[in-house]
Amino acid sequence: MDMTTTRFFEDLDRRGFEPLLAKTSGTLRFDLHEGPQTTHWLLEIDRGNLRVRQEDQEADTVVGTEPRLFGELVSGQENAIAALLRGDMTVSGDLRLVLQVERIFPGPPDSRGPHHSFERRTA
Amino acid sequence: MPGSSTVRILDGNTFVVSEDTGDIEATPTEPTGLFSIDTRFLSKWVLTVNGERLNALSYDDLQYYEARFFLVPGMATHYIDAKLSIIRERAVGGSFRETLTILNHDEKAVDLEIRMDAGSDFADLFQVKDEILNKKGEIYAEAEPDKLRLGYRRGNFRRETVIAASRPARYDRNGFAWTIHLEPNEQWDTAIDVQTHAVGPGGRDLRMGLRAHGTERLALQHDLEQWIAKAPKVNSEHGQVASTYRRSLIDLAALRFSPLSLGGQTLPAAGLPWFMTMFGRDSIFTCLQVLPFAPEMSKTTLRILGALQGTRFDDFRDEDPGRILHEMRYGETAAFEEQPHSPYYGSVDATPLFIVLLDEYEKWSGDVALVKELERECRAALKWIDDYADLVGNGYIWYERRNTDTGLENQCWKDSWDSLSYSDGTLPPFPRATCEVQGYAYDAKMRAARLAREFWGDPAYADQLEREAAELKERFNRDWWVADGGFYALGLDPNGRQCDVLSSNIGHLLWSGIVQEDRAEQIAAHLVGPRLFSGWGVRTLAEGEVRYNPIGYHNGTIWPFDNSFIAWGLRRYGFAEEAATVANGILDAARYFDGRLPEAFGGYQRELTKFPVEYPTACSPQAWSTGTPLLLIRTMLGLEPHEGHLAVDPRLPVGMGRIEVLDIPGRWGRVDAFARGRLDLHNLAS
Repeated sequence: MDMTTTRFFEDLDRRGFEPLLAKTSGTLRFDLHEGPQTTHWLLEIDRGNLRVRQEDQEADTVVGTEPRLFGELVSGQENAIAALLRGDMTVSGDLRLVLQVERIFPGPPDSRGPHHSFERRTA
Repeated sequence: MPGSSTVRILDGNTFVVSEDTGDIEATPTEPTGLFSIDTRFLSKWVLTVNGERLNALSYDDLQYYEARFFLVPGMATHYIDAKLSIIRERAVGGSFRETLTILNHDEKAVDLEIRMDAGSDFADLFQVKDEILNKKGEIYAEAEPDKLRLGYRRGNFRRETVIAASRPARYDRNGFAWTIHLEPNEQWDTAIDVQTHAVGPGGRDLRMGLRAHGTERLALQHDLEQWIAKAPKVNSEHGQVASTYRRSLIDLAALRFSPLSLGGQTLPAAGLPWFMTMFGRDSIFTCLQVLPFAPEMSKTTLRILGALQGTRFDDFRDEDPGRILHEMRYGETAAFEEQPHSPYYGSVDATPLFIVLLDEYEKWSGDVALVKELERECRAALKWIDDYADLVGNGYIWYERRNTDTGLENQCWKDSWDSLSYSDGTLPPFPRATCEVQGYAYDAKMRAARLAREFWGDPAYADQLEREAAELKERFNRDWWVADGGFYALGLDPNGRQCDVLSSNIGHLLWSGIVQEDRAEQIAAHLVGPRLFSGWGVRTLAEGEVRYNPIGYHNGTIWPFDNSFIAWGLRRYGFAEEAATVANGILDAARYFDGRLPEAFGGYQRELTKFPVEYPTACSPQAWSTGTPLLLIRTMLGLEPHEGHLAVDPRLPVGMGRIEVLDIPGRWGRVDAFARGRLDLHNLAS
């Protein structure tokens, strides 16, 4: 099991509340397929309150990817919307939930944000 | 670009561009085809009878989603002898459907070989637009007994076109055919269904469950009738304003677009053919223009843009926390990150305009719930303005793309490479700032202050925002004023040097309210003066500037959308006659385009050309051009929400006669507004 993914979900569970999801409610199941093996993560969102379990239960939205790609998504190396358009990530059920949850994935590790020229001058 | 003989029909982001025979034979210079989700699904669609191409007698684009072509075999000179007529009727609505009808007018029976050549290159819209063609995946075609399947595969990315006719046909990899026998006066017909699929590995389509309305022809017709019935009625003495309004209303219906993440609700896409997608800036401007007529579009636009607001730093997408997106695309280049539109955030005006729209929408609708719902997004947007957009650290919104390969150089509405210059014609370095965006930021803070005070229960934040806005106004009036010209600079460079050219952008400053009262008259005089005003409208750049060119995309052409906000700005500062002058010119121009204003037209003097010269590659219909007549009507009638009521203060030019707008929706229920042309615009020149 990819440690990045485990850490991501453990962190969500510990966080308890995510303001970016304050308007979101629903359940998502992430099915990470590797050969005959599938790992399930169930994320319950109740107006921003988060709960994570490792269970194979019915959900409003089911997301399917390879574990490696998922690890890259939750560490910002890959982008979820591009992966969805590419067909590398599949979604059944309510697509909106994925697009909301995707927003809490981090940006690329090498992205630095705006280049403030006053910082450049003083650098 | 397609010539004038192309026929376009559309529904959402599915559209067909064809020749006037209904045929599609795409080449880099003739970008015809069936398009959906930013992908071309048919690049060849050619009908022959006995091996012969057909010629068009006439065609009708009956509604935006359907067209009919009357064809005969043979060359133009043979029309008179035609013994056969062929009718192609087509509609888009989710899929693409075409009905073929063949009539034999001869006294003899005929045997016919009817064939449709079909093929697809599955080009990404960006490849069509920029003429790049080197597909990395594999194109395939499979003929089955009852259908033809055209496909494209690149890894897990799969797009398919599935074609099936109602009458049994012989399918091969390049098309399908029938051999038929027609007795005298007999007719034959068949219906062809073309499905477009964006297939995921599980066989599910990306777009499942997305549609706002049914896709059958009747459902589309019903939806359009409802849309028109729901909108206010406009009557005008000379009929002309009323017919322009009706054209706009129908085009607006056509441009409604249901993004993947909105569960079937719609917002305005930017324009046909290249921009049938969600744009932050275009969608917001269009919503502002049409608020008195179609307020529900604002609600969905604000919700979707809020739901996709930036949350992190992503240099490839130019994303920052709080930033409102610029453009979303669904094609292959976005999927494989050859283009950054998943979504791309490189715009600096959409973020302040998001707040402007929310406040304006509340003033009309009284929808307090939405203001509360979007409080977090507004605060994040305001934080973006202060923390992430001020690249120079002097209190303005600046831009400099971080994605230097495929990001946008100019992130304001005038986004072409040479749109910003000093008066000597040279281009400024980065980061750059443009004046109108500072106006939007000022307006956003003033409006957010009202929202904070009245709805968010945060008077301290309201005070802070008003203080910041006042400081911004003072600073702006000091740093951007071109004293010897009597106008505001178009831009500023990071060293504080002004891009000291006279441009249409100063009209947006009036709209935003950042113009110091004692300078407004000078600005108004420039806007209707000979250097900026052509007689049809206000030029993007004034005559006499080094880079002025009457057909320069952002350096001299006239943009109807730009003019509608300029007119609104003029009225805001009490220049009703000047506003009516601009409105009158643009509405006159609309007559030459059958009520459908293009994206832009030439900045030539009105007396010189007598008619407005369309910019060669202009998009049409384009959402914010479509919205223009609606905002001009609002401006001329002086429609303004005021303390829960709708105030009406009409100032129309004499020639416009009587105009009535019935059933204007808002927090007041529905009210009517009446106006009569009394302004003699000739007074203005003297």
